[in-house]
Amino acid sequence: MPPASETVRLKRQGAGSPSLPLAVHLASTWQRFRGLLLFIASIVIGFASWQILSTFIFNPFLIPPPLVVFKTAIPMIQSGEILRDVAISLSRVSVGFIGGSAVAIVLGVMLGRVRLLNELLDPIIELLRYLSPTAMIPIAVIWFGIGEMSKYFLIFWGTFFIVLINTVAGVWRAPVIRQRAAECLGASRLQIFVLVVIPSAAPYIVTGMRIAMASSFMSIIPAEILAADSGIGFLLQNSSMLLQTNRIFVALLTICLLGFIFDRVFRIIVDRMLSRYMSYVALT
Amino acid sequence: MLRVSGVRKVFGTADDGYVALGGIDLEVSTGEFVCLLGPSGCGKSTLLNILAGFDAVSAGAVEFDGAPIRRAGRDRVMFFQDAGAALLPWLTAEENVRFALRVRKVPKDQWPAIIGRYLAMVDLTAHRQKFPAQLSGGMRQRLQIARALAVEPKVLLMDEPFAALDALTRRRMHAFLLDIWQRTQTTVVFVTHDISEAIALADRICVMSVGPGSVITEVVRVDLPRPRDLTDPRAAGLFKDIEALLSRDLAEVA
Repeated sequence: MPPASETVRLKRQGAGSPSLPLAVHLASTWQRFRGLLLFIASIVIGFASWQILSTFIFNPFLIPPPLVVFKTAIPMIQSGEILRDVAISLSRVSVGFIGGSAVAIVLGVMLGRVRLLNELLDPIIELLRYLSPTAMIPIAVIWFGIGEMSKYFLIFWGTFFIVLINTVAGVWRAPVIRQRAAECLGASRLQIFVLVVIPSAAPYIVTGMRIAMASSFMSIIPAEILAADSGIGFLLQNSSMLLQTNRIFVALLTICLLGFIFDRVFRIIVDRMLSRYMSYVALT
Repeated sequence: MLRVSGVRKVFGTADDGYVALGGIDLEVSTGEFVCLLGPSGCGKSTLLNILAGFDAVSAGAVEFDGAPIRRAGRDRVMFFQDAGAALLPWLTAEENVRFALRVRKVPKDQWPAIIGRYLAMVDLTAHRQKFPAQLSGGMRQRLQIARALAVEPKVLLMDEPFAALDALTRRRMHAFLLDIWQRTQTTVVFVTHDISEAIALADRICVMSVGPGSVITEVVRVDLPRPRDLTDPRAAGLFKDIEALLSRDLAEVA
């Protein structure tokens, strides 16, 4: 692979020209892997700049260069220390996220359908949703202690309102024509609801879940910093008290990586299982 | 037989609402092809929604085969202009037809034969695995027809179904619809604002006045053999008569 500029030049000269098969080949390779290559370039450039800045400009104790961070990470990975923290944080996020999504989808579908129920509960929901998981930490600790339950609760809390509001919106916006068309084919009210309305709401529900997943990864950290004796947040807090900036950066990088990987995995799962419900958004 | 007698429709409150229909009387006999013709806002879609059972009347009565129409039923299938909105976009062409059979509780072992027959009838056999988004506008309309016919309705209610299609595709859809109508002998109530379309298709054309308080001002019988040639002097004469009727009505409102 030649450098990027070279490829572009070759592409300009030779795209589609039979006298330059190599250039054509390179151009098409570039087209195919463009996204991936630019992604890698972005990461490499980012880390290189960080390394240079930390070595020559910033205080390397306050902002340790990436090579030092990686060197710190290796024994943490080898001893299994960080993996334990990752596992415990992930299990907290998973339980809270899955539980919160499930309850929110069921309730949201009901609220979307039963107008009276929605009108009764909506004001309460509108008030409660401003209580971020962080705001709920102090009371959660009193209710559930610093064990797993308080973390499940906090993630559940953060996930629940986001998924709920999106689900209600999705159920409401199921196109009327689509429902009427099913109705005059002979579908019962239950069939219209299950076979038409809920699938129509799927893109909204999935979008809500993606946002909630990002927020779960954000809420688990303060919860663990303030009230836990394990997990990535605890690692951050502990390293901070011992002034171990290297270990703090390992933890921060781990959070970035986990959030990123989970969002990708979530999208792949959605693409595999729900693509036919997602792809039509542009149609109507 | 569809019977509409003295139907009024008011949107909003009774004394401070918009009077969409100001007293409609109409009878459509079994197997007949009737067009409701009128300018935008004349309440023809409102009347169709009432016939489908989606909207209730404010006064008067609608009956189908002697029984009052209270809600949607599979004997009267509505056919929407926006096929993309009416079809289920997450189902393929054949799955959309299968959906109709499923909600109609047709025994499962008959599904493949029925799906095959109706997709063939609308020329979509080759596209049975495609999703609505992958079909052209005309194909989507044909798929909507196949899905509607698969439940063997007695009445097809069509709300400007071909208005969004180009002229050539629309002509083909007309021939296609007439062919199916003649083979299945369903009753058709077809809403349009296009005079030529009405003349090309209908046994009778009910010309509606501009709202508020629309009524059927004139019923024109079209006694021309099908397929109809719109350049035929008799068809051209009908066109002029109806056009004069419509523009007189519009002028009165203005």
